[in-house]
Amino acid sequence: MPHVRSISIAARIRRQAAPLAVLGGGLVGSAARSSALLFADSAGSRFPAVTLGVNLTGSFLLALYLARRQRSVSSTWSLHFWAIGVFGSFTTFSAFSLEVFHLVDAGAPLVAGYYVAASTIGGLAAAVVGGRIGRTAR
Amino acid sequence: MTVVIAVAAGSVGALARYLATGAIQSATRSAMPVGTAVVNIVGALLLGVTIGGLDPTRVVTLALAGFLGGFTTFSTWMVETVGLGIVPKPTYRAIINLVVMPALGVALAALGFVIAN
Repeated sequence: MPHVRSISIAARIRRQAAPLAVLGGGLVGSAARSSALLFADSAGSRFPAVTLGVNLTGSFLLALYLARRQRSVSSTWSLHFWAIGVFGSFTTFSAFSLEVFHLVDAGAPLVAGYYVAASTIGGLAAAVVGGRIGRTAR
Repeated sequence: MTVVIAVAAGSVGALARYLATGAIQSATRSAMPVGTAVVNIVGALLLGVTIGGLDPTRVVTLALAGFLGGFTTFSTWMVETVGLGIVPKPTYRAIINLVVMPALGVALAALGFVIAN
């Protein structure tokens, strides 16, 4: 059955393309986050505003992308590149965790609390709004 | 140059996250997004060890920090939490996913930093 075989070869190519799409997207997402950290002026402030901004923006964009994706035909390559690669690596959980500890360690537990609240409540709100816009906007 | 290395390491971190999340999720077959949780909590611990124990001027420190930046993810955590049910009324699972991850992430980042330091 040559037809079945051709499908399985195509599936195999797609399987190998997924890691490459994630690598490529990860490169874009990491570069964007590094640029934000390098160029945003956070001097003189101990509040990690850049990480917060990056994490909220990324949560909004990922939800927007995934909601729009459900309305149109798009490839799994696109999902791997954008969702897992770009938006996944643009945001970061490890830096968030360490920054919370550093704030507590520096004697600013209240600021740490604000940071956690802003990140979690803000992140949820960003994801809900992103999803809603993605489902409704043209 | 060091920034280029950190960005490239972040790309490899994204691939490691993709592979680890898939393996953990299919091994546990949980209704909860445990793949993302494990990756994020382990990544937070390792970043604590890296920043606490290594010389910040060394390239390897930047490469590891870059790797862990791409390995862990905040956006997926948020979207998965919304997927567990947030509006109109938060579900039990969503609240667990929202609260347990930062609690463990911060605790292990602190532990890693203090031990390595």
